Amino acid sequence: MNPLSQTLSHASRIGVIARHAFTQLVRMKVFYFLAFFAVILIASNFFNLPQHEGPESAGINILRSIKSWSLGAMTLFSVVLSIVATALLLPKDVEDRTLYTILAKPVPRLDYLAGKLLGVLLLVFVSLAMMDVLMTGILHLRTNMVLADQMAMAEARSWPAADIALLKSDILAQGPTASLQGAVFSVFLRATIIASMAMLISTFSSSTLFTTIISFLIYFIGHFQADARAAYLTQEAGTSDSFWMRGISLLISLVLPDFQLFNVIDAVIEGQVMPLMILGKLTLIGLFYFVFYVIASWFVFARKEF
Amino acid sequence: MTQPTPAVEIRHLVKDFKTSFKRQPLRAVDDVSIRIMPGEVYGLIGPNGSGKSTTMKALLGLVAPTSGECSIFGKDSLKVDSRNEVGFLPENPYFYKHLSGEETLEFYGKLCGIKGVKLRGRVKELLELVDLSGASHRRIGGYSKGMLQRIGLAQALIQEPRLVILDEPTAGVDPVGSREIRDLIFKLKGQGITVFLCSHLLEQVQEVCDHVGIIFQGKMVKEGRLEDLIAIEDQTELVMKDASPELVARIEEMIAKDGSASLVRSGKPRTTLERLFLRETRKQEGKN
Amino acid sequence: MTQGKRYAALALAILGMGAVRMPFEQALSKELFAAGLLPPKLEVKTSERIGQTFSAVSLGGLRTLVATFLNLRAFSYFTEQRWAEVGDTFDTIVDLSPRTRYYWDTGSWHQAYNAASHYLYESKLPALRRKLGWRESILKGRSFLERGIRNNPGDPVLRERLGFLLADPNKIAAFGDVGKAYGDSYDAYMSAVETGSGRGMAERFALYSLARIPGREKETLAMAQRLHKEQGANTTTMLSLLYTLGYHQDPTQSVAALIDSVFPSHEVAYDVLTGLWLRTRDRFPVHGVAQGIALLEVELKVPAEKSILKKDLPSPMNPDDYFQPNR
Repeated sequence: MNPLSQTLSHASRIGVIARHAFTQLVRMKVFYFLAFFAVILIASNFFNLPQHEGPESAGINILRSIKSWSLGAMTLFSVVLSIVATALLLPKDVEDRTLYTILAKPVPRLDYLAGKLLGVLLLVFVSLAMMDVLMTGILHLRTNMVLADQMAMAEARSWPAADIALLKSDILAQGPTASLQGAVFSVFLRATIIASMAMLISTFSSSTLFTTIISFLIYFIGHFQADARAAYLTQEAGTSDSFWMRGISLLISLVLPDFQLFNVIDAVIEGQVMPLMILGKLTLIGLFYFVFYVIASWFVFARKEF
Repeated sequence: MTQPTPAVEIRHLVKDFKTSFKRQPLRAVDDVSIRIMPGEVYGLIGPNGSGKSTTMKALLGLVAPTSGECSIFGKDSLKVDSRNEVGFLPENPYFYKHLSGEETLEFYGKLCGIKGVKLRGRVKELLELVDLSGASHRRIGGYSKGMLQRIGLAQALIQEPRLVILDEPTAGVDPVGSREIRDLIFKLKGQGITVFLCSHLLEQVQEVCDHVGIIFQGKMVKEGRLEDLIAIEDQTELVMKDASPELVARIEEMIAKDGSASLVRSGKPRTTLERLFLRETRKQEGKN
Repeated sequence: MTQGKRYAALALAILGMGAVRMPFEQALSKELFAAGLLPPKLEVKTSERIGQTFSAVSLGGLRTLVATFLNLRAFSYFTEQRWAEVGDTFDTIVDLSPRTRYYWDTGSWHQAYNAASHYLYESKLPALRRKLGWRESILKGRSFLERGIRNNPGDPVLRERLGFLLADPNKIAAFGDVGKAYGDSYDAYMSAVETGSGRGMAERFALYSLARIPGREKETLAMAQRLHKEQGANTTTMLSLLYTLGYHQDPTQSVAALIDSVFPSHEVAYDVLTGLWLRTRDRFPVHGVAQGIALLEVELKVPAEKSILKKDLPSPMNPDDYFQPNR
């Protein structure tokens, strides 16, 4: 077989397994509960929470609230789904012995792993897209309401045109912007990283629970990785107990991802702009982790015996 | 004339498993060699824990040999392309419950690279072969054990393999289903497909297989053509129809007159595989 | 490869991969801090920080979400008038979300306005304590705004708020030197204009603050004339300033001529000048106002008993008056 048709057949096999993993997860009731929960969270933005503000900032806080809640729900949902779905796919196949029938076919183990992980990521992506549509819709409606209110207030107080235009652009910057979509994509990238790591762990742990717990730990500690890295880079070598500190900081920095980078999502919620370059760099990081961990998983999985 | 490539060639397969408690690894398969030529129906029999499943798994690349080699139609089992020609039905097969019978077969077909119209045609053909056309739209979760075995067999055949490996194909299946599977195996044989099955239901193996291997505690104890094995070597059987008692008496006299031969038994002769098996394993146990 | 060797190779690969990506992550991290896209390190103690990070991570990794929850808590403290807790909570909130203008704005509003007002009108504490509480709240509100400005140097709105607070007639007594307060207010408003995204009105408010600093009348008149030409503003205050500062510049000129040059009509002039005369709390300059009113009253035939000049003027706010023991 020439290399092109070989690549195509790999791609089509991976596609089959990915689609299959996707439908398998979707048909699990757990997924429906999670999705329902996330939708409720986001839809609740339609109602008013007690707000306290001076008249000139009325309404803008609501917009930020909506973004904050929605992105929080998206993050929670995507992380839980990524970890749990990835953690259960392999052990389930082994336990149900469906793995034998698949590997008894001419399916390279790499294709199998890549397909499973891509199936999970496809599910996360589709869910985030749906939640994004919901959030953007509600945000759009609210922004228009706030805009109408504020414009009326400004006109009533005979603000000069330049100031009214400034107010308008201020409000619009808090509404649905391109950066907001970038923030949602960043949520997806973060989920990709944690799912890839969960996949590696699940290849050498046969317990769904173990994989889940370790993955959540990684997610949590990953938020401190930046601090560990800073500690390693700024500490002076030489003293005896700093040796251990340096060692541990170095270990954490090398093994764990820096999830703090994704706090740019916070900045976008506050209304700042996320430059495309930044999004590009985050995407590169996500891709790098994905490729490495799929290959690492394959390395462990290739010689695994069933 | 060149020898045709054996469908299955297992050479001096040894597989050790590490146990966590003892330092000594457990030797599940101890120097097993099997050669199955294309078109044969080979039965591997042995008690539970004798190494049957491990041998099959080594052949399928699910397990890596500690030493020795396995190959299918000349291709090394550890390489993916060796599985182009083989279909596997595992013991107690389990398929994804959320798929229907038809979807399951399509899934496996796609994994083998079959697509589109060809795939649909093949799926239909196989469903008819295993007599599941009526239940093809029902979810696997609702299938009976017999139906699961049959869909499993269909899945094993999806890419028209030249070798089919069956692990306990009739275990837990009712007599009717069992019969159906046996008939299917004959059909496969008729099409020239090599069948490698393992079982501990000895009667059924006797009905279907033409070659047999007995494996016990990881070692291949006896192997060969079924007919040869079941035959009791130093005895000769003379099965007569409508023989008169006088004729029988005259033959018995002739035997008595012969110096070396002696009459063991006359009547309705019968032996079973079961006896052979028990004899061989007791013999082996006596050796250890 | 044995199992052990495999795992060793894997561990090495992970460490190696870490070594490769660490500089990239470090560089990106620096870039994001510099661009203000990542908030600066949390200032609170480590244990509190761990607690906050834990809440943040469990809420989806978002510090802004924790801030949102804390905001709700601050609101309930506000309804219960627990000002110390309101202050502390807002300190935490802005630590988590320092680039959100709304939190700085609202936090300072609670201190300088709500808390101060509480001490002024509602508190049952003895007078001296209330006065101290009132003063302290206003000063706290001011420093909170100033912190917010430091964290958001490009934001014009917080600067405007500061300018407004410093010139607020109800609050200015808390700042000690009134002239200096107006001076700081002018600086704050001008800095808002200088951010480049400030409202046009900010400059006008800067002018109003400048006008109340004794000794800078020339500067104020020049600015007023400029803004009047550029923005075409005709608010009462603007007209008042043009009049009073014009008078101050040349007290010998004809009052009638000045009135005609500044105001569109005598009725308008009378309204504006009498309003200005009574507006003592705002401390705007009143040069030549009495003369102008006297002239206009004659012109418009206002009876002597109804003369504005005869009315008692309200005095500017004096904390000592407000915080009497027998209130």
